[in-house]
Order: sequence, then structure tokens, then C-alpha cells
Amino acid sequence: MQIFKKPDFNFMKYKLFAFGLSGIIIIGGIINITKGKGMNYGIDFAGGSMGRVLLKNEIPTDEVRKLLSDIGLEKSRIQEIGASKREYLIRSLQTLEKSQEEEIEAHEIIGNKVIEALRLQEDRAAFEKGLKDLNTVDERELTFILEASFPEEASAIAHNILSFRISEGIIQDYAQLQQERGISQEIINTLEEKTFLGSLAVLSKETVGPQVGHDLRRKATQAVIWALIGMLIYIGIRFKLAYGVAAILTLAHDVLITLGIFSLTNREINLPVIAAMLTIVGYSLNDTIVIFVRVRDNLRILRKHDFERILDTSINQTLSRTVITSGTTFLTVFALYLFGGEVINDFAFTIIIGVITGTYSSIYQSCPLLYYWNKIFKPKKGMAK
Amino acid sequence: MKKGLRWKVILTALVIVFALIFAYPPKDKIELGLDLKGGMHLVLQVVTDDALNYETDQAIMRLGEQLKKKDIEHKAITKSTISNFSVQEINLEQEGQIKELLDDYFRDWDYSIIGRTVSLSLKPNIARYYRDQSVNQAQETIRNRVDELGLTEPTIQRQGLTTGSDRIIVELPGVENPERVKSILKTTALLEWKLVKAGPAPDRETLLADFGGKVPEDQQVIRGAPRRTEGGYYLVTQVAPVTGKDLRDARPSIDEWNNPAVLFSFNADGARRFAKLTSENLNKPLGIILDGKIQEVATIEDRISDSGVLRGKFTQEQAEDISLVLRAGALPASIKYLEERTIGPSLGADSIRQGLTAIFMALILIMVFMVIYYRLSGFNAVIALILNIIILMGTLAYFKAVLTLPGIAGIILTIGMAVDANVLVFERIREELSSGKGIFSSITSGFSRAFKTILDANVTTIIAAIFLFQFGTGPIKGFAVTLIIGITASMFTAVFVSHLIFDLFHSKRKKRDELSI
Repeated sequence: MQIFKKPDFNFMKYKLFAFGLSGIIIIGGIINITKGKGMNYGIDFAGGSMGRVLLKNEIPTDEVRKLLSDIGLEKSRIQEIGASKREYLIRSLQTLEKSQEEEIEAHEIIGNKVIEALRLQEDRAAFEKGLKDLNTVDERELTFILEASFPEEASAIAHNILSFRISEGIIQDYAQLQQERGISQEIINTLEEKTFLGSLAVLSKETVGPQVGHDLRRKATQAVIWALIGMLIYIGIRFKLAYGVAAILTLAHDVLITLGIFSLTNREINLPVIAAMLTIVGYSLNDTIVIFVRVRDNLRILRKHDFERILDTSINQTLSRTVITSGTTFLTVFALYLFGGEVINDFAFTIIIGVITGTYSSIYQSCPLLYYWNKIFKPKKGMAK
Repeated sequence: MKKGLRWKVILTALVIVFALIFAYPPKDKIELGLDLKGGMHLVLQVVTDDALNYETDQAIMRLGEQLKKKDIEHKAITKSTISNFSVQEINLEQEGQIKELLDDYFRDWDYSIIGRTVSLSLKPNIARYYRDQSVNQAQETIRNRVDELGLTEPTIQRQGLTTGSDRIIVELPGVENPERVKSILKTTALLEWKLVKAGPAPDRETLLADFGGKVPEDQQVIRGAPRRTEGGYYLVTQVAPVTGKDLRDARPSIDEWNNPAVLFSFNADGARRFAKLTSENLNKPLGIILDGKIQEVATIEDRISDSGVLRGKFTQEQAEDISLVLRAGALPASIKYLEERTIGPSLGADSIRQGLTAIFMALILIMVFMVIYYRLSGFNAVIALILNIIILMGTLAYFKAVLTLPGIAGIILTIGMAVDANVLVFERIREELSSGKGIFSSITSGFSRAFKTILDANVTTIIAAIFLFQFGTGPIKGFAVTLIIGITASMFTAVFVSHLIFDLFHSKRKKRDELSI
């Protein structure tokens, strides 16, 4: 099977159109970042606290919002996970008037308040009565509770119950334990007497202080810049300066477009997204270099042709590979986007954008840039190494 | 089989066997990151200023004693910053004596005499040493506490390789009660016994009324712990004759009224000093101070030497936690949390499940595509891909690298990019075939010509990954690691092994040959 039998597209004809299109997207993005919505930094870079909770009973998003605003946390970003109405990712955007020193503690206090707000009244009542929450109790404590009535098997039962809790996230009903794990009625009676089923479980909680956020932002910027410099040097040595510069400009184009899209879609920039961005840089360069290697070869083989023609030929010769590799990478990342879960979702989204822009830019940015370099600087030895 | 091919087959088989030995069974051999197995990641900052403050206070005390002993005239000794202090209004005739004293006993301090004031400042290299020591000690103390908590496989390390760092990273897998662990790690646990001169009083002014509104020399004002003493003000001695350092052991217990309390005992030196303190101050109030707050005030009724009870209206759990931190030792400086990430075990299990699903889906999609598009040669690529994953797993296990959720993403991306090498080669072979070359020479030149491209493209990706590793933290490092290993392995599987497979089926001498590509 073959996608292209003998491709002969005139890519370079659209170079100005491509520059215009990219220019519009990049400028639009920059305007939106500087004058419009700006960048939506996640807690990794902006500091703050974020919690992921699983509720015992369904609570619709509006109700969650109301519960939070009741305690003065109306500025919270609430994201429902799945469509179960039971799992939420909550990041509070409230700012407290505190010095930097105390800021992380303030974030933590807010994070804890969010969790408390979602607890039901009955939890507090049960807690007052001295009952333990079976949805937060640890294994040692549960063993201790059961030991009074079942001295022999207490630790085995506790382990069984908690491994069920880990697989489900939260225990909704005592009957579940009986059905799924064969816990006897007798034990359930003891549990009902001494414990209650708390209304929520905290799946994860993250608090990042302002200093760390600042550090991470600096490190991320450094990583991107040094990676670009490292690549410039490598290509400069393996090819020529012109190729290095064209490649780096192409990469800058990819990063700017991705940032612009993030700003326009108001998606959060967090650490995995930066990792994804560096991956895009690597991937897009991969694409660009495959074409550049062909250009280098063709400059030797097709001496008589003019440079624009050589660029077009090279793109066409590598077109099958470009499309197939983009396709396979796209497929894998799309699988990650669909099946990888909420935590990795932003990462996968970034790479999907990257695969698309990377493929487009290696054809429509890197080659036209080489063309103009040749036209403007007219290197004496030509473009060959 | 040709001789050249034989050693290639043997090499490939060896690599596979070793990778399998290292990685099987993956459940036990592959180490999972905190985001996959659940746990706690903390970044702590040691407030090293505290350590300098402490040294300066000690030096002021020592100098005061020495000046008194040698009858050197002076007014106040005042602290100006955390590592500077000065002695006011000395008698210039005694300047020589002072210099001699400072040269002999205060070698860690630079001093200058201007007018009638002696200014001392801690030498910068000594200050650096104290700061560094305090971070080391804090790390040691935290390790002790984690061990006392019975947490398995903890990682406690200083952030960064430079010695100047004041940050400590603590990673604790499988923590069930994060809030408790956090408060235990953060407690300074500085226990002191000091004589109480006055108090409790509702506020500072009332407390100091008898002293003309000024804190007497050698004394200080501290507050009571709200739980125990409703937060009154006390006047106590500045110096603590006995501290938590003198403890041999501390255990949770109950006092005579059946309330939870902490039972402690002193080591030999501590017992001697405590006996001296109590016998010299019979019928005077003695305060037990934990982290700067008075927990308990008791009148000394007898000479006590080797043990005692700390009562403080504790709950059973608090009594347990306080004994734990007292056993593990005090922190040399206070600690601040800079970052905290807690991932529950059920979310980790979810992530593993989703990650594996994504890997399998990606693999199946790619395999189906390659076989449809390149037919039998597609199978060649599929074998290379599976080998790649086996080698990746083996290498991860061998280097004990940690697999994180972004690491799983790295594997998936590697799958996508590893077939790129195959695609480059296959497309080249197709080109060579269509230009009329024979099958065997098409294969050979296809591989050799595509190799340059593969090398250049992969090296640049690895450059990006190395910078990611260099600057990244925890999970991100995991991503860089799988990407670097995966891409390197792909050069072996997609170039060396793939070529070998072609060579096993096609040779120069074969007359009737067909290539399914």
C-alpha cells in the first residue's frame, strides 16, 4: 500500500501564504497573552492549592459551587471528572492578604477549607459521637477497632476492606463490602456500630508555595532555551549555520503557536505541559531534519536545479515518511488523550497540537526560511555543506 | 547461516534474554513513582537563619560570662543582625585585654574596635559552615522521625547538588495519614527546662509591672501553650540549663490522673545537671517549654535526677507524637513547607490502569497500521517495536529508574517515534526498488542511507530530553528517562535488528526473491 505514488506538489508556491497564516496565529496569541486573557498558569507556576475529591453521593457542579461560595470561596475553578457527578478537581483562586512567607500555609488552609465545605453535616455529627470514618481510617486504626470483637482475623479483615477502598476510591455502602469482598454480616454490624462512611475521599492534594512556583518557571524557561541552543549547535555542526537558524526559528514558531493556542483556549500551563512542549520541540526538529538531510543530498545530486526546485523535490521525496510518522505519532498520542486519564490529559493535548504544527512547520516554515536565507545572504559556496 | 549473521543473532538474543531477566516480573522489578503508587512528596526549607541566631546568642552569652570573669568594664551587649553583635562603652585602657580574649576564645568572629564599641561579626565561611551543618542535621533528624514513624522506602535528600541548598526533598510512599506526618516532620521539638520568674499574667504589661516595665537581663517573656495554660505570659530565664538534647528516652504514658502524658528519662550528663538545677531551686516554679511555649509549670518539691513526666492536656495521639519527636531529636532550625503533593493509592492505581490501556491501544493501532501498510515488512517493524519495549523495561529495571505517569507517556511517545526509524528505512527501500535496484542491494543501501537521517533526528530529540532531565523535577525526569532510553533502544531495534531480520530472509545469492513491502 502507498499513500503517494509519486508526489509532485508545489509546496513552495504557498510560502508567503503560510508565513501570513502563521503570523496571524502567533500575533493573535501574543496579543491575547499580553493584552487579553493572558496565560493561565497552573499551581506549579502560580502557586496555590488543588485537590481532587471523590464523593460518596452525587452532588451536581452547581451545588458544589454553592457550597464553596457559602464559605467565601466563590473564586474556585471546579472541574468535573467524568460524568459521574461524584469526582471533582477543585482549585481555589482565592488570594489571601498574606506575606510571601505565610502564603503556602494560607494556600493549605484554603485547600483544607474546600474539603471541609464538601463534607456533609452528618459526617460532623458522627465524628462528634466518636465514630471513625471508614473512608479515611488507616489500616492500623481499623485493625484496632476490629480487634475487640475479632481478635484473630482483625488485621486480615482490615487489609481486605482497605484494599477494596483503594480499588474503588470510596466505600459507598456497607453492603458493597459484603457483596464484593465477602465480609460477614457480623463484622458489618460491628463496623456500623463503630464507624461511619464519610461523604468524601481526597484522591490527591497539591500545595505549591510561591517560591517554588517562581523557581519552576525559571527552570522551565531555562530548559527550553538551553535545549534550543544545544540543537542549534548540533545542526550548525552537522549542516550549516543557515540550517540551524532555520530549524530554531521553526521551533520557536511551534512553541509560540502552542502557547497562543493555550492562551486562546484558556487551558492551564503546568509542568507536564512544559515537558510536552519540549517534546514537541524534539519531534518537530526530527521532522525538519529529515527534510534537511534530503536537501543536503539533493544539492549534490541535482546541481543544475535552482534552490526552490530542490526544496520542493526534497519535501516531496520525504512526504510519505512525514505523513506516516505524523500519523503513527498522532495515533499513539490520541490513544493517550482518550485513555490516559485526567492527569495526563493536558500533556496529551499539547502533543497533539505539537504533532500538527510540527508537521506543518517542517514543510511550510523551515524550507521557506532556507529559501529566503539563500535569497537574502546569497552565500558564496551555495547552500551545500 | 553466514558467519557475520551468526554473531548478530547471538548478540540480539543475549540482549533480549538479559532485558527479560532484568524486567521479569515487571510488577516486582519496575520501581513506580509516587504518582503511580501513591504517597507524599514534600519540599522543605530549613530556616538556616535560626542556626546563626542560635550561634550568635551563644556567643553573646559566652562573651558576657568571660567579660565578667575578667572584670572588663562594659555596658550592654547588643545583637544587631543574626550574625553581628557589639559590646558598648568599653574602657579603652582594657583594649589589650579584650583583644587577647577575642583572639583566644572567639576565633570564629571578625572584630573591630571603633571608639568605645567592639563590633563582632561571624566569619562568612564559618557562617556558611553553620548553615550547611544545620541543613545536614535537619536532614538527619527528619530521617530519624521518618524511621520512628515506620514508613518504608523513604527518600530524604538535599535538593540540588550544590552544597548551598537549604532545601530538603522528602518522598514517602504509601502514607495513610498525611496531615499527621506533616505536623510531626515540622515540629522543631526543642524541649527546654527553665526557671519561671513570674507569671502567668494576662498580658505583657501586667507581667512586667513589678520589673519597671522592662525585661530584666538574662530573662525573657514567653507564652503558655493555649491548650494547657490558656495562653498567659511568663517571665523565664534566658538560658535553659537542661534541654531535649539531654534526654535518653521518651515514651507515651499516663499520669496519676489517668491523663495521657509523656514519660522521659535523662542521660547521665543531663541527670547530673537536672539534679543540680532542682536541688538549688527547691520550692521555685520550673517551666517545661516545648518549641517556645510553656507546656507545664510545676513547683520543684524535691531533687529530681533521672526522669520525669511531661503533662500537657494531651490526647493519646499527641502524647505518642510528642514522644516520637523527642526520641528522634530536635531540629536545629525551624522548617517551612515549600511544596506538598499527596497522591492517594486509589488515584495511583487508576493512573496505572489508564496508562496501560493507553499503551496497549497505541501499540495495537500502530501494529495494525504497519502490517496493513508495509505487509510482511510491517511484521518486521512490529517485532522491532516489541523488542524496543522489552529493552526499555529491562533498562529501567537495571538502572532502578523510577517509572512515573509522564514516564508512561514517554513510553507511548517512544512507540510513535520508534516506528519512525522503520518508516524512514522502508520508504528508502521502496525508493531504491523503484529506481530498479535488486532486492538485496535495495535493503542494504536503504538502511545505510536512512541511518544518517535517523541518527541526526534522534540525537536532536535526545538533546531536548537531556535538558528536560537536567531541569525537571520528579515525574518530568521520569518522562525524560523513558524517552532517552526508548529512542536509544530504537536505534538498536529498528536499525540493527530489523536489518538482521531482512538479512535472514534475503541474501545476495538467492535467485528467486520477493520482498513484501
